Amino acid sequence: MNGILTVKKLGVEVAGKTLLSDINFEVDRGDYLCILGPNGAGKSTLLKALMGINKTSSGEITLNQQPLSQLSQKLRAQHISYVPQAHGRQLNFSVADFIKMGRFPYQSAFSDWTLADKQAMDRAIEITNINDFLTRQMPSLSGGEAQRVMIAAALCQQTPLLLLDEPTSFLDPHHQVEVHHLIRQLNQQHNISIIEVSHDLNHAAHHSEHILALKHGKTLWYGPSAELLQADHLQALYDQQFVFTAHPQTGAMVALPCELSSEMS
Amino acid sequence: MKPSHRLLLILVVTIAVLLISPFLGLNGIINPEIQHHILTQLRIPRILFAFIAGAGLAVCGMVFQAMFRNPLATPFTLGVASGASLGAALYVFLGFSFSIMSIDGSTFAAFLGSLIAISFVYSISRLRSGFSSETLLLTGVAISFFFSSLILFIQYMSNISDSFRILRWLMGGLTTVGYNDVLQLLPFVSICIGVILWLSRELNLLMAGDDIALSRGLAVQKTRYLLFFVTSLCVGAIVALCGPIGFIGMMVPHICRLLIGSDHQWLTPATLLFGGAFLIICDTIARLIIAPSEIPVGVITTLLGGPFFLWLLIRSRNTSF
Repeated sequence: MNGILTVKKLGVEVAGKTLLSDINFEVDRGDYLCILGPNGAGKSTLLKALMGINKTSSGEITLNQQPLSQLSQKLRAQHISYVPQAHGRQLNFSVADFIKMGRFPYQSAFSDWTLADKQAMDRAIEITNINDFLTRQMPSLSGGEAQRVMIAAALCQQTPLLLLDEPTSFLDPHHQVEVHHLIRQLNQQHNISIIEVSHDLNHAAHHSEHILALKHGKTLWYGPSAELLQADHLQALYDQQFVFTAHPQTGAMVALPCELSSEMS
Repeated sequence: MKPSHRLLLILVVTIAVLLISPFLGLNGIINPEIQHHILTQLRIPRILFAFIAGAGLAVCGMVFQAMFRNPLATPFTLGVASGASLGAALYVFLGFSFSIMSIDGSTFAAFLGSLIAISFVYSISRLRSGFSSETLLLTGVAISFFFSSLILFIQYMSNISDSFRILRWLMGGLTTVGYNDVLQLLPFVSICIGVILWLSRELNLLMAGDDIALSRGLAVQKTRYLLFFVTSLCVGAIVALCGPIGFIGMMVPHICRLLIGSDHQWLTPATLLFGGAFLIICDTIARLIIAPSEIPVGVITTLLGGPFFLWLLIRSRNTSF
């Protein structure tokens, strides 16, 4: 019960349809939780429920022992920040203007841009290394650049907890590695707790600490990441057989999906 | 050039428009006494009114564009102005005549009409998530048609003089305004613009979309209701007094966005000034083009706005704003 975020028996219904039920997990300071699951399992719904975008219909989310529902949206934004699924390049703002908006939870109407605001913004820019394109417009960025900007904007909120929805799904392998490196750096060096929705099994198994596997809106499996890569877990989660082999460079175990034809034999 | 410098430039141009326009079209009059009367009793209130109404319409348009994240969304394209018109037409038709705190009842009727229209559009846009902007606009068009046919019905049922009054007023004109009208309009537009200036950061966030706005800590729903309320108030007051003057709310904020960027801290004051100046210019054209007679200013703004709307429609096909 010491986690900064505790989720108990959470259920989410949208328009009479149950999208999530009986979800339980806990995130400690500096923890790194990956949420896995097939498409439509409710992963994004869960992040949006934590963020207050989706209303919860049952259960309880507590933040530092306080029910999340009692916090104002502004106060919540001082504790949890969120990088939504890729759409940074559809936003018609300059990079600097967009990042600035990350300071909203600390501002009131007509309040000035304070030194604390400037420091938080400079630090977010430095960590994500986006100084070179601050004056550019969001739609002109590459996918990798846009994702770093989205993360920088969330970092401006200076929250102990960061939620990311498939931050690498639409990136090429080089930028996937780059963005994952950045997320690990935030987690390890800056002690930010991470909840990441991902489809990258091997990344989740090796780089996160805990895994929550969702299927049809229910918890299929919840445990330490090191125990994820087992044939029966993955088969149950994705209805797909996997084979395992050692990474030739690191020696770490990696899972590879089987060809459909080999399932016959 | 910094946004602050650009805003200063717009301010200078606006002041020039305010100072020069009253004197245009005065040179034909020889009697200085009549000239003086026209200037102080007709021209100056008319120009003040045009400035306030133009500023209000432009700023409301800007808010709609940000809230619905669509450059084509304005109180006019979404049927809110038709709602206001219907409210005011009903007021005339039913023969009401009352005023509250010296504010004419038609203003309240128009305000109610616009509030009903906007609630309607908004609840339809909430029915499904991932509601496309095309569907939103079509909803607005449908509501406009619906309200317009109700207005036609009311006109048909009215006697000749009421019917002509409604028709003339629907064209949108500033011909008969006096100082009293300026005083009727000023409080509503000031309240609305005041709230919008106060919410400039919130508007920026709304433009980024609900998910991002919520995760940055904005109480999206509350902000939206407040904006609906004040824009309905403003559009209602303007429409009640001078009829639906179309397209200002679409053209002006869009041009200002190109001039000054989309940060509402600068965009709101720029839109306010430019909108005011723009309606004065349109009204001056309407006054002079077939002098000594004149045409309703709504005709001019709509003639300019139609092609602009088409241009935006073609241009915005592949950008989501």
